Amino acid sequence: MVANAHSGGEGLELREVALALAGRPVLRDVSCAVPKGRVTVVVAPSGAGKSTLLRCCNRLLEVDRGRVLLDGADVATLEATALRRRVGLVGQAATMLPGSVRDNLAYGLRDGDDASDAALTRALAAAGLDASFLPRAAERLSGGERARVALARALTRGPELLLLDEPTAALDAAAAAHVGATVRALAADGLGLLVATHDLGWAAAIADRALALRDGVAISGAPAEIIGAVDANRGAFDADSSAHETSDGGAGAQR
Amino acid sequence: MSQAVAQIAAGVAFAGGAALLAWRYRLGLARPLATAALRAALQLAAVGALVALVFRVPALAVAFVAVMVVTATLTAGGRLGGLAGARTAAATAIALPALSATAILLAVGAFDVSARAAIPTAGILIGGAMAATTLTGRRLLEALATGGDELEVRLALGDAARVALAPLTRQAIATGLIPAIDQTRSVGLVTLPGTFVGLLLGGASPAEAARVQLTVLLALLAVELVAAVIVAELIARACVRAGERIVVPEAARR
Repeated sequence: MVANAHSGGEGLELREVALALAGRPVLRDVSCAVPKGRVTVVVAPSGAGKSTLLRCCNRLLEVDRGRVLLDGADVATLEATALRRRVGLVGQAATMLPGSVRDNLAYGLRDGDDASDAALTRALAAAGLDASFLPRAAERLSGGERARVALARALTRGPELLLLDEPTAALDAAAAAHVGATVRALAADGLGLLVATHDLGWAAAIADRALALRDGVAISGAPAEIIGAVDANRGAFDADSSAHETSDGGAGAQR
Repeated sequence: MSQAVAQIAAGVAFAGGAALLAWRYRLGLARPLATAALRAALQLAAVGALVALVFRVPALAVAFVAVMVVTATLTAGGRLGGLAGARTAAATAIALPALSATAILLAVGAFDVSARAAIPTAGILIGGAMAATTLTGRRLLEALATGGDELEVRLALGDAARVALAPLTRQAIATGLIPAIDQTRSVGLVTLPGTFVGLLLGGASPAEAARVQLTVLLALLAVELVAAVIVAELIARACVRAGERIVVPEAARR
């Protein structure tokens, strides 16, 4: 239930993807692969298009040009609701729905899904929380707890791939390390993960593959190479980060 | 002193007294109060003359009701400012339930098929539909403006766009109905509504006045619910795009 064994699958592939938001080109030419059983990190300053890239993968945003493939099938040909259950997204805000943690985890589960407490507890455990959280009011959780419940909520659908948008943004170092371990464990179970982050140290610790975004163009390669290059260029990285601080956060469901 | 002179004198005295009090306490309301009173007098005099004419020429009743619908549409549509198709949405949400309910009340014989009965009935129902449309529409636009993250969560968990929007539309409809429900619940206890008072002053028996008032109130409840549902439905539809995506209208982002 928590993670399916799909290590033999192809995962996601983006081919020459381009997208403009509100008339501003955000992605110009993005090609990359997100295989199952691997952790692929996207490192770029805020506003560079990381959130936008993630939302192209589950069709919360439709690309203007190029293709996104899931196991070789163009996601534009797949039913969007089914696609989003196969390719889960955990947003940066880790927004909780009204009700308890149990309500959040069981939200939208269908007849074929396992909504038992045992299944929900397994999802919580995979995200680093125990069963005592189930009856707690979701709105009263701390930032770190919300981030983990949001991750568990995505896992209850049994996704094949997960898109994580700045999962450590609200976490201290210890909690970030815990989430990193969770991400590695999920990949070991066969899940494919595409993780957007601007935390280069954390990215280096979890990545199998890395992708940098610069002016809407993706450069992919081995983590040490990509993260090292971004780190070497940190001055420009930080300058871009502050310049674009608020320009990418609102992609969400809106365009 | 005739009753007409007494009524006018009493009205002038109340308005003057209020303006004097506002001036004495430097509320800055003396002029607005006086202007509002004068404006109300002129508007009611004009409407009175117009209604008298309409009563003599029944064909004008249709035009009169049409003017009420257009005015209500412009008012509610303006309150949904910036929403593409706001006036169409408001016109549909107001005209459809209000005119249908008026037609039903006349058709079943609840009220006489006459301009004297149709115009006030349509007026009350159009006014109620306008209030529900404005309140529901604005509440939904506000919820869309602030609820983007929650909508994205629901979509990302596999909801269809309309399913993801449903909690927001339900809440907006519930909010839009609060005044109508409260008015109906408290009738006779907190306020004596206009129809009831008007009929009593016109010489009807209390039982007859209560019966007519109840008919109008219950029709109003249904009309306001339908108006709220229609405007919420039209705004929700305007947000949905192919691929189960949601685009929040410009109006909601302001």
